[in-house]
Amino acid sequence: MKTRGGGILALILAIATLGLITIGTIWPNQSASANPDSRATLVSGDSSAQDAVNGLLQKIGRHDWSAAYSGLANKADFSEVEFASDLTGNYGSLRTYALLDGFDVHPLRASADEAQFRANMRWASVVGTFEDSRDLKVVRKGDHWQVAWPLMKEARVPPQVIPVNYLRWDVINRGPQDDWGTQDVEAPHVRIVAMHPVDRGGGVVILGELLNEDVVPAFVTVKAALLGANGSTLATEDSFDKISHLLLPKQVSPFRIDFRNVRLSQVDSVHIQPSASLVSASADPVIGIESQKLNPVPDSSLTGELLNQSGQVVNVAHVIGTFYDGNGQIVWVADTYPSRALLPQTPVPFSIALPADVSSKVASYHVMTTTYRSGHAQ
Amino acid sequence: MKLLVTAFWGLLSLLAPYGLAQTSAWHFPPTVQAGTAFSVLTSGSGPATLYVVGLGDALQRSVQLGQSIAFGSEDLRNAGHYVALLIAGTETQSAQFDVVASTQPAGLSFIAKPSRLPVNQVNGLSGVVYVLDAFRNLLVEPQRVTFELSDPSGATQSRVATTRNGVAWVKMNSATKAGASQFRASSGDTRVQRAVLNVPGEPCTVKMNSHGAGKRIVLETDPLRDCNGNAVPDGTIVTFTEVYGGQQTTVDVPLKRGVARTELLARSRAVISVASGVVVGNEIRVSGGQ
Amino acid sequence: MMKPNRTNWLRAACPILLAGLLVGADRPSVDLAIANTEGSRAVEKQTQNSVVRDYLAAWHAMGRAMAQNQPELLDAFFVGAAKDKLEETVRAQQNLGIQSAYQEQSHHLQIVFYSPEGLSIQLLDDVEYDVVIGKQGKTLGTQHVRTRYVAVLTPTESKWKVRIFQGGS
Repeated sequence: MKTRGGGILALILAIATLGLITIGTIWPNQSASANPDSRATLVSGDSSAQDAVNGLLQKIGRHDWSAAYSGLANKADFSEVEFASDLTGNYGSLRTYALLDGFDVHPLRASADEAQFRANMRWASVVGTFEDSRDLKVVRKGDHWQVAWPLMKEARVPPQVIPVNYLRWDVINRGPQDDWGTQDVEAPHVRIVAMHPVDRGGGVVILGELLNEDVVPAFVTVKAALLGANGSTLATEDSFDKISHLLLPKQVSPFRIDFRNVRLSQVDSVHIQPSASLVSASADPVIGIESQKLNPVPDSSLTGELLNQSGQVVNVAHVIGTFYDGNGQIVWVADTYPSRALLPQTPVPFSIALPADVSSKVASYHVMTTTYRSGHAQ
Repeated sequence: MKLLVTAFWGLLSLLAPYGLAQTSAWHFPPTVQAGTAFSVLTSGSGPATLYVVGLGDALQRSVQLGQSIAFGSEDLRNAGHYVALLIAGTETQSAQFDVVASTQPAGLSFIAKPSRLPVNQVNGLSGVVYVLDAFRNLLVEPQRVTFELSDPSGATQSRVATTRNGVAWVKMNSATKAGASQFRASSGDTRVQRAVLNVPGEPCTVKMNSHGAGKRIVLETDPLRDCNGNAVPDGTIVTFTEVYGGQQTTVDVPLKRGVARTELLARSRAVISVASGVVVGNEIRVSGGQ
Repeated sequence: MMKPNRTNWLRAACPILLAGLLVGADRPSVDLAIANTEGSRAVEKQTQNSVVRDYLAAWHAMGRAMAQNQPELLDAFFVGAAKDKLEETVRAQQNLGIQSAYQEQSHHLQIVFYSPEGLSIQLLDDVEYDVVIGKQGKTLGTQHVRTRYVAVLTPTESKWKVRIFQGGS
């Protein structure tokens, strides 16, 4: 009886599959979503505008720059190196090490000889996924279509000398010998200056701010434990990426600690444990955060530009925003990583997404950056 | 592992001699001082083996009953509770005794914390001393410990404390002037010194000045000092914030050579403020600008 | 301080009893009191619990090290002078071919000092235990001990470790 039932199910699935293949062939979808796996062979031709776009994005996903570049309609305008740099970035930015995780293609307009598509590429990086959206013009050339790539040239920094009074802290610890009582360098003194638990999305979120009140740089973490009415520990978590781990003297970092699967109503008290250790650090580069602006729903976000005021290239920047209500209480902490490197004196845009319900409460905000250079963190 | 230990000792016990008796007397002192020579009288006759076992040492010695057992100053140096067994044939005599620390302090474990603290902190500095003898035994008998803290201006605070269970501690005020203090602890002829760095506190005020440079405005703070007149150290972050038409620009700038300096785009009707840590400074209103 | 050898009967009667005695070696009765620490730092409940837990674990580790003559068993719970002295004792036992087994029966603990900066905590332990000394497959003797230990523990990355461990205090 079981065998017979299984056979019927297999037959139904086979018929349904054949039916769907037929429907998809006769009435193809005008938008597409794809995984750029190197083994994927969804689209290989350029007999339609959409095929050409999908084919190009799949080549990009495979980092097959030569094949992707050779099929472009406007390749005479730039070199293959410039094309690859546009997508992977220069100077060891997040893009350099990112992989194309997927893309969506949406038609914007089409005629017999020309079409336009919006391609949303999702790049997977070590700090999560970032999106790169491009409007692609596709032109017919004979019996096939070619994409004209909208090259975004990375800014070039003009040759110049930028004087910097370099300030750096180096640390010499006392060594491994156990001589109790002998002094070691004192760990930096840090202090929680704000802490606020909120119920959100079926879990508890701890929002707060941490001040380095010392005169030396601190590598900081914050650990939180939620305690129940009987003093039992419901959950423990620590701030992972929603904090600036490196704090210079008198610098304040927000932190956000997410607890899933715990209700605020279960929580009797919160035990917060900041910790700080002394690290070698540099006071540079200085990053200006310009044109910060809150954008309302539906695209509720905080946007702005990072301006590297120093003479060093910053490979990766981490931007963290703290959002306050009218009473000065923290209502949210969010962050973003611009995908491009920060070149000296060159603005790089950023956008921190805000939940719509939070956006309406925000009365003020504070933004800070942490920067990473090859072999350094600041 | 527990079972193995149990089995091992069970086996030992199976092999142990039965029916031991104490037939002779010996006179073990209940307390001896670490690192001192002493002797124990025994009675009876014939050869015997002495075992002294504790958590500080283990000794074995062949002795002649009826003679004194001499312990040299090198033999028992670690303070603790010891068990002595004197075994002659099937006879065992036992005793327990304490080795106590010598009376003379010879070492101090001195923990001065913090080694860096803001100026003018009342009871901000603690000093804890464990008094030890020459063999690193804790002197549990009360000892006088003198704590002295000399600040960068040369003034000295002094306190005397008496140990209890081997430990003495004090709390001291940090200096009002930034710089290194010397924190000393002494007991008997033993003295230990630690360095303590008094660092400036929060800036007392933050004041910035501005001057135009084309489309940009140059902002520079006055040299930052704490409320005791000490210069706030370089590297301290000063935040400049410019608010204009629903937008804002912020820059975190480290103090360099005592001042923080940055340039911002001069925007019409912008308000620029400055802060360092929790200290908020003055505001500047831009009238012209872009 | 001479004490009667009250365990001859035990050795003579039944080795299984001794084995049974040692099975319970890691479950002594324990009570804790906080003495008047005279203005030094207050001891938080969590600290009390972890200090007592680590101190008793140190006793257990010490017992295993002495019974098996393995000094490396001390590393996890002892540091500084306490570790050095216990290691010396284990080595002395190895050289003499003897072992000693410590079967704790009770610990009456008092926290008498917690340093203001939180870097040391001092315990007094009125402890009662049996110590069995053996050599080459023979039990040399067993003693019942009542004494007071003074212990100073200092925090490390993961636990409190015993830095001063001194009996007969």
